[in-house]
Amino acid sequence: MSSTNQLEFKGYAMTDPSAWSSLSVVPFEPKALGPEDVEVAVAYCGLCGSDVHMLNQSWGSTRQGPLIVGHEIVGRVTRVGEKVRDLKPGDRVGVGAAVGSCMQCRACNDNYENYCRQITFTINSQWPDGTPVQGGFSTGVRAHERFVFPIPDGVELRHAASMMCGGITVYAPLRENGCGPGKKVGVLGIGGLGHYAILFAKAMGAEVYAFTRGTAKAEDAKKMGADHVVDTTVDGFWKPYDMTLDIIISTVDHFPKNFSLRNLLSMLYVHGKFIVVGLPPADEPMPTLHAFDLTSNAGCFIGGSLLGSKDDMKHMLNLAAEKGVKPWIEELPMNRAKEALEGLKAGKPRYRYVLKQDIAPVD
Amino acid sequence: MSSQNLQFKGYALTDPSKWHDLKIIEFKPKTFEPEDVEIAITYCGVCGSDVHTLTQGWGESKLPLVVGHEIVGTVTRVGDKVTEFKPGDRVGVGAQRGSCLRCRQCKEDYENYCTNGIDTYNAEYPDGVVAQGGYSTAIRAHERFVFPIPDEIESRHAASMMCAGLTVYSPLRTHGAGPGKKVGIMGIGGLGHYAILWAKAMGAEVYAFTHDKSKMEDIKKMGADHVIDTTRKSFHKDLTHTLDILLSTRDVFGDSTPLGDYLSMLYVHGRFVTVGLPDADDPLPSIHAFDLAPNGCMMGGSKIGSKKECLEMLELARSKGIKPWIEELPMREVGKALQDLKNNNVRYRYVVKQDIV
Repeated sequence: MSSTNQLEFKGYAMTDPSAWSSLSVVPFEPKALGPEDVEVAVAYCGLCGSDVHMLNQSWGSTRQGPLIVGHEIVGRVTRVGEKVRDLKPGDRVGVGAAVGSCMQCRACNDNYENYCRQITFTINSQWPDGTPVQGGFSTGVRAHERFVFPIPDGVELRHAASMMCGGITVYAPLRENGCGPGKKVGVLGIGGLGHYAILFAKAMGAEVYAFTRGTAKAEDAKKMGADHVVDTTVDGFWKPYDMTLDIIISTVDHFPKNFSLRNLLSMLYVHGKFIVVGLPPADEPMPTLHAFDLTSNAGCFIGGSLLGSKDDMKHMLNLAAEKGVKPWIEELPMNRAKEALEGLKAGKPRYRYVLKQDIAPVD
Repeated sequence: MSSQNLQFKGYALTDPSKWHDLKIIEFKPKTFEPEDVEIAITYCGVCGSDVHTLTQGWGESKLPLVVGHEIVGTVTRVGDKVTEFKPGDRVGVGAQRGSCLRCRQCKEDYENYCTNGIDTYNAEYPDGVVAQGGYSTAIRAHERFVFPIPDEIESRHAASMMCAGLTVYSPLRTHGAGPGKKVGIMGIGGLGHYAILWAKAMGAEVYAFTHDKSKMEDIKKMGADHVIDTTRKSFHKDLTHTLDILLSTRDVFGDSTPLGDYLSMLYVHGRFVTVGLPDADDPLPSIHAFDLAPNGCMMGGSKIGSKKECLEMLELARSKGIKPWIEELPMREVGKALQDLKNNNVRYRYVVKQDIV
């Protein structure tokens, strides 16, 4: 692609929240390209649970005006700001759920830019100057270079797409909490995030326990590499794993009424970590906990995690290239976004939808 | 002291409707085994656990029941497999007196997390003998749960280190309290005041949170760098993303500040650790998964501490000359201590002196 062709910014937008999954192509004005910004022509965009939660208003009302979601973006650099050194037009890159941060605070300076209090998310937000950010169900995005990630040659673009949010969201806490040889990692919920957790935890050398409702996904989970598959509909399913696991990655975005977190926590060894990455609707708090659930249960922890840093991304993509980690995706053209959004809401994908940009296709 | 003359008598709960009215009873001690240490008790600290147990707030207790698990005394007798102690040694026992010693936790210096751990009181040994606590003349405990008290530390000071001190030392140590770290402590009572003393001694910058303005001067004297009044609206906002560790000693939550507000004070991957244990019907304030995401923080608990940690703590206390802020009473007045503690009326730990023999 010639970098002198002006990228025409258009995308599939929600314009009416009462028809949340019906998207129509609209043109939009991106942010002005700053000296540290990178412009990317979108080739593919993965579909994340957050896109559904955002569009169907379950995380609160979205902002006014046409809303383009999508934050598992891969494509090719078309333009870079004058201060950008590490990326150039033509480079294969990805962008995830954030496009900018303050670059000055303690977190930004500590390689924790994903935890910056002034972070600019890719969906449903605005830049500091008020320009709405539009996401990756579009022909192009602009982001600060810290939030643009080179994709190694060993990873195909359509595979890299969903690593930009789904993958990194589970990779970062696995890395942070020492996932590796000798560790026992539980994965709760085998959907987009959960299946990545199995793939990455195995690639990192851990022993993996997959927890899923029923048996429908058991065979797939084994093929993904899970050493053990546990059916959570079985009474007392947690008992054989008492004080066994070092880390549990919880990807479920819904807890049934009267759910007992205590039973899940009982599977953790001393100071084990239950990391919640699944984000339920705003009106669904975590199940009730008593202090005893944390102290008696081996001094365990419940933690959160938000995306990952550029450093995490680099490690994750290198691991994916080195070990040949390939996600299980279902590819659709972007004009079938409605089908994909509703399918994801119903838990259908095996295991991640990736939409191919079809307004102005990019290889 | 000849162990043949050692009587096992203590101030016991006999009627739960009069939870602080304790009567002297004679009780059957643990069956003496080769790895046991027998101790004539001189002092015992008064812990919130004693109140929660006696009031039945943690559930129905055994009856009659002698509580107390901040014990200091003198060794009277040791089993033939005991290598660490001899009669005459000054020792302490905390909130745990036994464990299986075979499981992974016990082998990895996490005996406080043994699934078959035996609490110092309101528990039962496998042979059916009820574990009776330290508001008494004597106790028998497995050597692993008996701690040598350094000469420089007075018995009346060491007593409350056995539970309160250790219970906050363990998480401070585990989570790296030290130079360069910002440690918050919520609730400045028995446990909280120890947390200030230890955290300062370990080199951390200390933020003490209290709703009680009358404690603020004391808290500064204990060494806290900052004292925050939690009755002030939005007190947490000035401290967003600041603390590395936030240790909560609160044992009452009720209808109070959303936990999310406290969690927001943690820096990236900071840890909120609760050591305070409320009554069974007082759960933690609710959180949403969203409360954990913005700083990737962690919320957890900690239970007592290991022998390894206890010895480290005692060495820290010895080397820095750390003394707790205690109020002393004869053991027969433990009822007053218990009531004062329930009403949060103690500065900052009661210790009772054994007066039965």
